[in-house]
Amino acid sequence: MTQLPIAFLDGVSACLRSAGTSMSGFHVYLMIFAIALPLIMALALAVSGKLPERMVKACAAIGFLVPGLSSLWLGAVYLASATDGGYMFTVLADLGLSSRFGIYLHLGLNGIALPFYMLAGLVGMAAGFYAIQSGVERLRLFLILLLVMQGGLMGVFSSVDVLFFYFFHEFALIPTFVMIAIWGRTGRKAVALEVTIYLTLGAMITLAGLIALYVFTGATEFSMTGMRAALWGSGFPHQGTLFGLLLIGFGILVSLFPFHTWAPRAYATAPAPVAMLHAGVLKKFGLYGLIQIAYPLLPQGAMEWGPLLLWLALGNLLVIGFVTMAQRDLKLMLGSASVMHMGYAFLGLYAYSTVGIGAAIMMLVAHGLSVALLFLLADVVEKRGGTADMSELGGMGTRTPVLMGLFPAAMMASVGLPGFANFWGELGIFVSLYASPTPWVLYLALLGIIISAVYGLRAVAKVFFGEAKGEIPDGDIKASEKWPALLLLAALFLIGLWPRLISDPVNEGVLQTFPDRAPVITAPAGEISLTE
Amino acid sequence: MGDFGFLIGIIMVYWTFGTVSLGGLQELAHHSPDSVTTAMGLLLFCGVLGKSAQMPLHVWLPDAMAGPTPISALIHAATMVAAGVYFLGRTFFLFTGEALHIISWVGVVTALCAAIWAFGQRDIKKILAYSTLSQLGYMVAGFGMGSLYGLHHGDGHGAALYYGIGASMFHLTTHAFFKALLFLGSGSVIHACHHEQDIFEMGGLYKKMPLTTLTFAAGVIAIAGVPFIGAAFFSKDAILYVAKMTNFPAFLILTGTALLTALYMGRLFVIAFLGKPNSKSAEHAHESPWTIVLPLVVLAVCSVAGGYAGLYPERLGVLVQNWVPLAHGSDHTLMLVISAVASVVGLGLAGLVYGFGSKTDRVEDKAPPVYAFAKSKFYFDEIYNAYVAKVQDRLADFVSFLDTLFISGLLVKGTAAVAGLFGIGARRVHTGSVAAYVWWFFFGLLLFGAFAGGFLDGILQK
Repeated sequence: MTQLPIAFLDGVSACLRSAGTSMSGFHVYLMIFAIALPLIMALALAVSGKLPERMVKACAAIGFLVPGLSSLWLGAVYLASATDGGYMFTVLADLGLSSRFGIYLHLGLNGIALPFYMLAGLVGMAAGFYAIQSGVERLRLFLILLLVMQGGLMGVFSSVDVLFFYFFHEFALIPTFVMIAIWGRTGRKAVALEVTIYLTLGAMITLAGLIALYVFTGATEFSMTGMRAALWGSGFPHQGTLFGLLLIGFGILVSLFPFHTWAPRAYATAPAPVAMLHAGVLKKFGLYGLIQIAYPLLPQGAMEWGPLLLWLALGNLLVIGFVTMAQRDLKLMLGSASVMHMGYAFLGLYAYSTVGIGAAIMMLVAHGLSVALLFLLADVVEKRGGTADMSELGGMGTRTPVLMGLFPAAMMASVGLPGFANFWGELGIFVSLYASPTPWVLYLALLGIIISAVYGLRAVAKVFFGEAKGEIPDGDIKASEKWPALLLLAALFLIGLWPRLISDPVNEGVLQTFPDRAPVITAPAGEISLTE
Repeated sequence: MGDFGFLIGIIMVYWTFGTVSLGGLQELAHHSPDSVTTAMGLLLFCGVLGKSAQMPLHVWLPDAMAGPTPISALIHAATMVAAGVYFLGRTFFLFTGEALHIISWVGVVTALCAAIWAFGQRDIKKILAYSTLSQLGYMVAGFGMGSLYGLHHGDGHGAALYYGIGASMFHLTTHAFFKALLFLGSGSVIHACHHEQDIFEMGGLYKKMPLTTLTFAAGVIAIAGVPFIGAAFFSKDAILYVAKMTNFPAFLILTGTALLTALYMGRLFVIAFLGKPNSKSAEHAHESPWTIVLPLVVLAVCSVAGGYAGLYPERLGVLVQNWVPLAHGSDHTLMLVISAVASVVGLGLAGLVYGFGSKTDRVEDKAPPVYAFAKSKFYFDEIYNAYVAKVQDRLADFVSFLDTLFISGLLVKGTAAVAGLFGIGARRVHTGSVAAYVWWFFFGLLLFGAFAGGFLDGILQK
């Protein structure tokens, strides 16, 4: 069955290889452009005088389209070329910080970064187009900030240099605060303040941890590959402390229990495109950092913190699961659900095997797509129904049939129905938990499925079924809202039916990044692998 | 809920055998029978509990009757609920003897309870739904006991291994015919009676809808297992036979259930089709168009003939002839008599108890406790609803409250408040009064002098 697509990909890769090295220069420019173009467009919009609205929209559209398409193209090239999960499309530019600090502008994609990079491009396109058509007040400023965010996101997941990795994250983070404060719904000022303080704290702790790590490794280059090379085969002290700093710092940014309270309120308050980009992509920064930096460099620390991480992850999954069930507001519920699903990813890391870490990456990518889709659709529900309070919504199904088709599909994807990408992530994490030192965790983790099915189906029932409440003057979902949603749904579906798109580079990337440090779990004799 | 255990079971199988391919598993399980555990089988069976609606996860199936009738026919007759039983058939090698015992009893209890509950229903589709539950119980019990029979009493030839599959899959096949027929027949009736589903609002339909009545009667005969013209006669026989050979109490219960089956199906038939019309919509009923009746006729033929193995295509026929455990010798006669008595007595009793046409349920009139007992459905719905409202939702609200109070309130807001207090304290110092600043100045000077003079050394060195 899968022969056909693979053969097809082989054909493409043969073409690309025959094109040879002349292509690689192009790819390097593409990497840089994907980051620079949104920023250039933001700058152009900021400094130019009065522009017709169509011009503004066109500029913004280019700023979102180019990174999105480049990420897809680079992804296709990466998949088509015979790599071993190592870095491709590397850029190394000396910006004058190299001699003293070992800091370069160092870009590149490995098997772990690639899925996140494509996620950033895809969700960016969807959120960007939704924002362009959303008709918010002061559209131009909104788009400028969102473009800055998009530029930062493309940078985060293509940075090999740790300083730039952090720098781009801040670049994407700051507009979030501003946009919540200006365009958020009720209570935006307080929420913006809370999020700013909380996330800045997390980022500070992360930075401290990263710098300390750099100092202790004694590497000459402040990059993921440089520090890894410096540590090859040698253990080093203070692993527990360093890992703790990174776990807490990154953990705050991914809403690890009990540092989660900022997330539901922030996502519920933020305008939909911001919630899509933050919950869908930017939040993954924390776990991505743990996977790319903390776990491969500090295996001893990871072991020491494992037991605590287990309980915190279960807190995410079960405590926040119940909190999610108790929510009445659709957007607050989605925000809580997104916190809850991070518990799965942390459990995958806790299992600390190639299956667990690979599945956590799959889970994060799938979650990014599905949560962005859900925030988009919830925003449409809120706009049509006039409220996001589920007790005041009802019976929308017959009046908005297309929305009624999309929303439950997105919800089912998020619950982990087979056929969607989320299923593979969750399944892999469950498989890895059974082989972890504490297999009983599997039973608790599986409760999460039931919990998410309960709140997911309840939300669908409350909003779309039952007696019709309120007026829906604007009717069904519009084409401009439908296409971004369909783009995300199609990606979820494609990965769900053909998970090797993601799992192949991830498997290789994880094996590359964790060379004989992690207790690699290979499947016992038999033909099945995680994704077949 | 069912998938909860099912998934654990699958993961367990994966880590035990390293594969989840059915072909590979069969070989591995054959070579190392010790690695098959009871827990594994029971966890996998959880999936069957959910998908084939066995107790205690049966409540969804009657509730799913809200869907359109052709969908009920498809889901309940052949496809979805069959998935669980089919799954058992494909993985029979993963079940130990203990697991098979438990599986048999789950099936037996489901068969009995669902048959009792069917008496408390007035909705034609609900009655059929409970009969589906009951028949699924038969299939699961048939699988369990048939496999046990093959394991322990196998009469020497290789096919004994597959008796469980044969017994359950044969009943699944015949059940698919007559249950699809009954559902589509009920659809025809509901259509004719202007969406009336209460059997006590029907009555006298035999005059208005002769073909539907005739085909429905064929379905009733088939499910009741009337000898030689009812498909379930043959397939239920196989299940009863393995029950008799392995588990005598279960055999008695299943035989009683067979009688109950004939009784409640007879109740449905005599009240809905015989007697006089009990409502306006029944009076105005007329035969459905041929598009509705034709499938009924086809299915009726299959229901009558479906029990004869010779009628199946060659490869399927081999399965039915060799794998279905058949009684022989004196047992053969005994089984025949028992089945015949159960079905005929059941149908006859239905005529006696419920009369030929009635506007009210006579059992409800004469013996209310019996009716209430059947109607209670043993309070499963109430227990589940109470769990959701009283336990699950309250727990969710409570945890959410704690989250708001302790984490969001005490920890996050508390930290902010401590920082704020420092701010207030620092602000209090900046009073703007020169006199106060002079006092602070003197205090600082004093401190400086003390430090310089070495008076503080004792404190600082600690």
